[in-house]
Amino acid sequence: MVSKIICYALNGLDGVPVEVETDVNKGVPQYEMVGLPDTAVKESKERVRSALKNSGLLFPINKITINFAPADLKKEGASFDLAVAISLLKASEQLVGADLNGIVFLGELALGGELRPVSGLLPILISAKGHGYRKFIIPAANAKEASFMGGAEIYPAHSLTEVVKHLVGVEKIPPLQTEEFVVSVRTAGKKSSADLKYVKGQPVARRALEIAVAGGHNLLMVGPPGTGKTMLARCLPTVMPDLTFDEALEITKIHSVAGMLGDEGIVGVRPFRTPHHTATTVSMCGGGNRIVHPGEISLAHGGVLFLDELPEYKRSTLEALRQPLEDGCISVSRAGGTFTYPSRFMLCASMNPCPCGNYGSAERTCSCTASEIRRYRKKVSGPLLDRIDLQVEVDNITYDELTSAEEGESSAAVKERVNGARRIQHARFKDCGINTNAEMGERELSTFCTLSREGDDILRATFEKLHLSARARSRIVKVARTIADLDSSDRILPKHVYEAVSYRIYDKMD
Amino acid sequence: MTQEEKCYLWLTACTKLDYGERVALLNAAENPALLFREFEKFSKTVLKEDRNGLYISDVSAREKEVNALSERLERKNRFAVTMASSDYPEGLRHVFEPPHVLYGKGNRELLKREKFCIVGSRITPPWAEQAGRKFAEEIADKFVIVTGIAEGGDSAAISGAFESGNIICVLPCGLDDCYPASQVALKEKIARKGLLLSEFPFQERVHKGSFHARNRILAGLAKGVLVISAGCRSGTLITANCALDSGKDVFVFPYNLGVKQGEGCNNLVKTGAFLVTEAEDILSFYGYTAVKKQAVVLGREETLVMEILSQSGELHAAVIAERAGLQVFEAAATLSSLELKGLVTKSGGNKYSAL
Repeated sequence: MVSKIICYALNGLDGVPVEVETDVNKGVPQYEMVGLPDTAVKESKERVRSALKNSGLLFPINKITINFAPADLKKEGASFDLAVAISLLKASEQLVGADLNGIVFLGELALGGELRPVSGLLPILISAKGHGYRKFIIPAANAKEASFMGGAEIYPAHSLTEVVKHLVGVEKIPPLQTEEFVVSVRTAGKKSSADLKYVKGQPVARRALEIAVAGGHNLLMVGPPGTGKTMLARCLPTVMPDLTFDEALEITKIHSVAGMLGDEGIVGVRPFRTPHHTATTVSMCGGGNRIVHPGEISLAHGGVLFLDELPEYKRSTLEALRQPLEDGCISVSRAGGTFTYPSRFMLCASMNPCPCGNYGSAERTCSCTASEIRRYRKKVSGPLLDRIDLQVEVDNITYDELTSAEEGESSAAVKERVNGARRIQHARFKDCGINTNAEMGERELSTFCTLSREGDDILRATFEKLHLSARARSRIVKVARTIADLDSSDRILPKHVYEAVSYRIYDKMD
Repeated sequence: MTQEEKCYLWLTACTKLDYGERVALLNAAENPALLFREFEKFSKTVLKEDRNGLYISDVSAREKEVNALSERLERKNRFAVTMASSDYPEGLRHVFEPPHVLYGKGNRELLKREKFCIVGSRITPPWAEQAGRKFAEEIADKFVIVTGIAEGGDSAAISGAFESGNIICVLPCGLDDCYPASQVALKEKIARKGLLLSEFPFQERVHKGSFHARNRILAGLAKGVLVISAGCRSGTLITANCALDSGKDVFVFPYNLGVKQGEGCNNLVKTGAFLVTEAEDILSFYGYTAVKKQAVVLGREETLVMEILSQSGELHAAVIAERAGLQVFEAAATLSSLELKGLVTKSGGNKYSAL
């Protein structure tokens, strides 16, 4: 008798349906698996055999053939175990009266028959739902993650025995309750300890941070060591607008595929990724042998990618960021196929102003010559700097210098203003297919960012006086637009342009 | 080319005689033309035995050598100014070991004009660079600016004076070379618009003594020297000392106590250099009146910020904002508009100072 069971394989962020066909025939006892299973899938034989035996079920002593269809797709991982076991039981007529039609089985088996969690469950569920499947049996350990997908019957099981009992109708498993994605979820669990109110001083950098988040601009912080660049960067997610459910789902999908989902089951806070500067291009962009795993830039999707000590990163690694920064996604090609992962992140980088680090420091004097400083800054390529709209100096001004030093504003207060600016942008770009000022192209620039005559004069004077590169123009205009949005002004006024110019320290250098 | 000029050219470029030997020969002959004609006679009496045999040739051979050299110079658009040339800078005769020949590329006319030297060390604070640029721009109105080609102070002087074309750069290396190498583009620009000078016609690498030798030429060419920055052991001090030795005037920028890049300047003030705060100080010293620039119209906030800045030196943007009663971002906008108007300059760490 031949049985057919549905389970799912992962292909990038998408689930692909895989049919597990099992035929149990009379003949010399034999166990054959076909359909491009990899080692982990082939090894399921032993897990399934033990799990069946220890669950009080029979492992048929016959000629067994198991086929995974479609045959040309490589199958990886242990998530097929449950499907293989059920398929075997069905074929050997141990599941009499059970209706297995339209049920998707996912899960890895332990030798004792318990179900182990699998990675990438949420993207599989979402794809399967799109393919019309409504019933799922999943490991109980994955229940939290699955609970955020509504509109399906999901049965979390602890063991193979539970699954069998459920299928034959002896003891039904209660279906999973869909959880509402609410603020409480978002703030539950590990609460981020970063908050702008703990940042001492730094009025200039704070403002730049606010503008960067408000307009979706990338940010470069330049400052001597120990001035709080990292601290500031850690505050970025706390002032970014709250995640919407769709965003959270997309981020969760990526983290689920990478097997990095925590106990909460969903990524409710914006990710903050800080790859070390020894990171390779593959770890940054994603890669792997046959199946491509998402890299740091995809894990930072929807959040912040913080590159501390920017010039220390390998040149090739940094250059690889250019295309994802532009497109918001990355396509990685491997022997197993081409995988596309989303990577719309905010880039925040920090660096020292010069090799000795003391340029512009209050206490120490810099011992670098102009050419040394230039050589150090040249390590970051122009095209990459092109994509960083705001460049700000972080200084170590002491509190004594500011007599009326008040405690810094909290992240919540800044977030309020950011949300306001984002609302304005949302309304402005509703027909343009973009969300933020930073994404504006030439067309949007000419429609939404017309400068007054005075503003235009300022820009021209800026170019002549400060020797700005031509490509700096559109960036200044974009930033000026965001500053105007924060000011709730529909026109870009001269003061907005002036302020925007002050965040272009690097263009002034060359 | 006169016989005298030929003599100087031949002695410096076609022989390997050192400065002392050349001077001894010239003194013995009294007249360079005579020396050129009857070199053999003088060399036998003046030069040591192992040297006098080196240059046995007759006057026609010497003529040939000199002509070949001057043709080569011409091909490369270069010229030689010898001590016998009419446009040999007079001030240069009073420095230690005045060069017998200088090679130039660019506008030779500049040699005849009055010159003023501006120098600074490679590590010059941004405000001093800005101010140096402004000074050079204003002084270039009356003088030809003479400087080196290093980064920092020298570059500031060049960028200020470049527009007017009144700029002479004296290289420590040969005219074919460039030290530092990063300034090659600048060197070419100066050759087109101003004038490059060197003691060496073609290739000559720099060595420890090159800068010392070059600095004496800087001091010799100019009527006075402005030092915009100098540490306590800076090479710019050599230029200043050369200038003092040959009776030139030395001007310096004032520096705060404890600023390393200005210790040399303050030491110069102690020994009697003139402290200057605006280009007019220098121009009026030489009896010129500076062309008054039109006053810039400032807004209310700009005036306020300028007032605050003029009361104290370098200030952080946040401090300025606090004193002016502005938000930090408002102050940033105001400061960048003042920067565009050329009234303030920004140094590292979000600090600003008035010019």
